Amino acid sequence: MLHTTIRRHLPVWLSVLAGFVIWEIAGRSTSAAFMVPFSETLLRLWQLTVQGEFLPELLDSAELFATGFSLALIVGAPLGLLFARVRVLRVGVEPYIMILYATPMVALIPFILSLMGFGFAPKVLVVFLFTVFPVLYNTVEGARSIKPELIEVAKSYRSSEWALWREVMLPYTLPYMMTGVRQAIGRALIGMIAAEFFLSATGVGRLIMESTQEFDTAGVFAAIFVIGVIGVGLTRIGLMIEQHFARWRQ
Amino acid sequence: MAEQALSTPSRAVPKPRPGLRTKGTLLPRLVTGAVILGAWEIVVRATAPQYVAKPSAIVLAIPRVVTDPKFLTALGQTLGAVAEGLAITLVLGTVMGLLMGRSPAIDRTIRVYINGFNALPMIIVLPLFSLWFGYSSHARIATIIFAAIFAITMNVADGARAVPREYIEVSRSFRSGKFRTLIDIVLPASLPYLLAGFRLAAGRSLIGAVVAEFFLSIGGLGFYILYNSRSYHHNEAFVGVLLLAGFGVGFEVLVQWATRRFMPWYRRGEK
Repeated sequence: MLHTTIRRHLPVWLSVLAGFVIWEIAGRSTSAAFMVPFSETLLRLWQLTVQGEFLPELLDSAELFATGFSLALIVGAPLGLLFARVRVLRVGVEPYIMILYATPMVALIPFILSLMGFGFAPKVLVVFLFTVFPVLYNTVEGARSIKPELIEVAKSYRSSEWALWREVMLPYTLPYMMTGVRQAIGRALIGMIAAEFFLSATGVGRLIMESTQEFDTAGVFAAIFVIGVIGVGLTRIGLMIEQHFARWRQ
Repeated sequence: MAEQALSTPSRAVPKPRPGLRTKGTLLPRLVTGAVILGAWEIVVRATAPQYVAKPSAIVLAIPRVVTDPKFLTALGQTLGAVAEGLAITLVLGTVMGLLMGRSPAIDRTIRVYINGFNALPMIIVLPLFSLWFGYSSHARIATIIFAAIFAITMNVADGARAVPREYIEVSRSFRSGKFRTLIDIVLPASLPYLLAGFRLAAGRSLIGAVVAEFFLSIGGLGFYILYNSRSYHHNEAFVGVLLLAGFGVGFEVLVQWATRRFMPWYRRGEK
């Protein structure tokens, strides 16, 4: 048991280690403005943290992410269920959701900037726009596959509307919704960074921009490294949530 | 037998596929579209300043924009960059994906990096790329490749891993070489996955191109949108957004069509 675990994971750890070594060598053999070795990146990360420049920015970004993401869930999930229940509505909105889902939302940022300016709200809107359509799209997709028999049986047992939502539609669409949530996590991160780059500069986005302008390449690498680790963690969580609910899927 | 048929009726019933051809859907769709456009028009007319984009003005701006040489140049620049980036991505991503899918050793070695980079919000590398490649179209190509390649690699790897063992065994028993097996058996068998990956990659490459143009201020559709919205020509800028949306939808439709046309045995699974 232990043996197989080691055999499975050892190559991965060795590969990560090799990656850090290559990063270190590459960093040392190029100019400091171009690339920074791994050790220096970690050192800079430590400095930034101790100087209190890093955590506040990270919290700022986290607040933006959380606000936009939860708004998208609060709006997207019930709306998706409503579309699931009212067929005419669903048929009507389906193509538009598909279009908006496929539209690169970043293209709207200049409009949001000139209409809403530099506050917190426009940035939340950007994260929301990036996030809501995967949730909506997948919920509607799931709703389309609800078997009519299920609803008919529930109705013939004189199920109330509320019970129908709670006992049939929500459980049936939840796995699809969670696929949307998993996709939305990655998109929300992109939206967060895009908002911080192109609207008022705050959070980790500002840290990266300022470090670039000051040719503090180590700072840039440190911030990207941390966001990468957070991204991997969030993706893992998303996959776990999706797999947890996927068991319900038939 | 009977029990099995009862427990999996969803397989037997063909799913209604999306598209305007399905009966009885045209009217609700048209009504919804009219409601959305009408609400937009009324709200903007009632509350927003003159320059804000509204449907009627956007429609009027379309002929002006599509004959504007500046717009056509920008369109060509962005599309050229996306095409170039996607071509490079397709080749590199497929090669990496095939290697990962067929060789467990390679998979274990680089999967952690593919996953890691894929989880990174791609636009975060823009400042770094601007340092590395300068404020140039090279940085844009690099952004497009970085944004798109991991989606293709991961999907092709999944596809190459999912090739039925019998295919490989048959090809081996005919003494086919490893390379031949990869090209003639594994690659065609993982095409549906490749297409699914391409669909994701195409969308991301568009985002990558637009964001790179915003950030680097280099000519293209993204910069056209940025420039016009800054100079209060919102209607003109919005025509650019419509075009981008059209490309996004176009890629989606193209992949769905290709999957149905060339791989009718494959049911589209959300990846």
